[in-house]
Amino acid sequence: MGQTITEKILSRVLGRSVSAGEIVHPVPELMTVHDWYVVNFDKVLQEFGVTKLFDPDRVLISTDHEPVAVTPQSSERQKRVREIVAKYGIKHFYDVGRGGLGHIFPVEEGLVRPGMFVMAYDVHVTNFGAVGVLAIPVVVEIPEVLALGSVWLRVPETVRVNLSGRLKAGTSVRDVAQKLIADLGDALVDYTVVEFGGPGMSAIDISGRHTLCNTPIDIGAKSALVEPDAVIRDYVAQVYAGPIDMVASDADANFRDVVEYDLSDIGPQVAIPPTPDKVVGIETVLGRTIHHAFVGSCASGNLPDLRDAARVLAGRKVAPNVRLYVTPATQNVARAAAREGLMEIFHEAGAVMTAPGCGPCAGGRIGALAEGETSINTGTRNDYGRLVAKTAEIYLASPLTVAASAVEGKIADPRRYC
Amino acid sequence: MKWIYRGRCWKFGDNLGIDGDIMPLRFALERETDPMVLKDHLMSEIDPQFAKKVAPGDIIVAGKRFGQGNSHIQGFLGIRGHGLALVAESIPRGSYRNAINAGLPFLSGCIGATALCETGNELEVDFESGRFTNLTRGTEMRYAPLPRELLAIVAIGGWKEHFRRRLAAAACSAQRVGGSS
Repeated sequence: MGQTITEKILSRVLGRSVSAGEIVHPVPELMTVHDWYVVNFDKVLQEFGVTKLFDPDRVLISTDHEPVAVTPQSSERQKRVREIVAKYGIKHFYDVGRGGLGHIFPVEEGLVRPGMFVMAYDVHVTNFGAVGVLAIPVVVEIPEVLALGSVWLRVPETVRVNLSGRLKAGTSVRDVAQKLIADLGDALVDYTVVEFGGPGMSAIDISGRHTLCNTPIDIGAKSALVEPDAVIRDYVAQVYAGPIDMVASDADANFRDVVEYDLSDIGPQVAIPPTPDKVVGIETVLGRTIHHAFVGSCASGNLPDLRDAARVLAGRKVAPNVRLYVTPATQNVARAAAREGLMEIFHEAGAVMTAPGCGPCAGGRIGALAEGETSINTGTRNDYGRLVAKTAEIYLASPLTVAASAVEGKIADPRRYC
Repeated sequence: MKWIYRGRCWKFGDNLGIDGDIMPLRFALERETDPMVLKDHLMSEIDPQFAKKVAPGDIIVAGKRFGQGNSHIQGFLGIRGHGLALVAESIPRGSYRNAINAGLPFLSGCIGATALCETGNELEVDFESGRFTNLTRGTEMRYAPLPRELLAIVAIGGWKEHFRRRLAAAACSAQRVGGSS
């Protein structure tokens, strides 16, 4: 029996052949934690008497959930984070104004590469799958990973998704990523790695692959990744000089299922409250009044996402009843957006740019909603209370749809702008 | 570790949220982790009397996606505080880990379990073998038990004790290595 990419990566890390269902203790090659959990893991490690990490050279901390401290408490927390990083000698520390969003810049900087195995405190680390990385979120037990280098993991099965066809104008990978999780359903992907491949992938850039790998976790997948191909090889070769592991699933690998998925028929999609998989065609929600819009997050904060929004906003104004936030995911994205003149377009349109990182999506610490308001945004989640106000409604959509809606002041079809 | 539970069935449907349905969200926000505190609030937003009605050994039988939502551990600690066990048709990824971390005996992936019993039935479940018996109806079903590595974590009371023992083992082997050099 052949192996899936996931089984191959874990077999390599463990030094023996493993297959789905086995309980193993693989040691990740990188462990990432964001700014909001550093103080917490330090507290747990102290409780257990741990004074040294397993390997501080494998640990990455990113200040992305709250890069601009907006309360005295968050300034104190940032100070504590810096002290904890120094105490344990953590190698990869991306403080305010350095990397940006920790699920994206490690890909840009070549810190994560095809075939690597990563564990992280945050579910959307699955973004690393954009370049063929197996990235598994760990929550309660992250102190165990930091202290001992591993935690138990049941080797997940794989659902293979073969994409075919081409996107229509006015539709983006975000629409596909949303509709796909609704179509796959939680029962199929429960505790699996969703593996993307197929002829449709050649037209999807690394940014789009971040988006594809971002959403399956929200319906119970264990992770998501893209089978390394020429797009990944060419991208990684620009940021990393060493050999690239083009790990692929065997033809006779034991997939839980193989799903053929055609991109050609998909139009703009909107996820309605309160979960990202409650997805409808835009026709269903057209015309609903909005007060708040946001382009950014680990799902849609890359340069092509900002270009999509700017394409709609160029020469237009954000509607008077709307505030629009735009958050470049990383320092690199912000710099490139400035160089291309996207920032000028956003500012002229009446949008607000925020510091690279998660933006409002990180629990609404900045740019939150008030009670009774409605937002359309490109964040990852639309639970009630995600952007603070418990009665506010959050719709999730592509950067094109969010920008078009911001211009019209109501949920709008982006196809008329494309 | 007692793996065989015999007690009354408390049946619930699909999609019970870990926050709200199983345990009020405020305990997660307050990071309360004492099972004896949490047990009094178990299922209180669905049935305010629930905590008073159950007895140790009783078994919660739930439908699909038990514990869905943001993976907080408090609900599972509350179940354990009462000495209850759990049989569910499915438990999402994060909550599955938390049930183990809480040291709770449970079966997951038990397709059709809610059709095999009603609230009030006398059940006997062996969490080591996966045998599910409805003594009231006289029916028996076999489900897959947790893998033995995970049963071992449940047996010692959950994640904290498991982590403590792994740390001790690592310190021991480091000492051995140090001593031999």
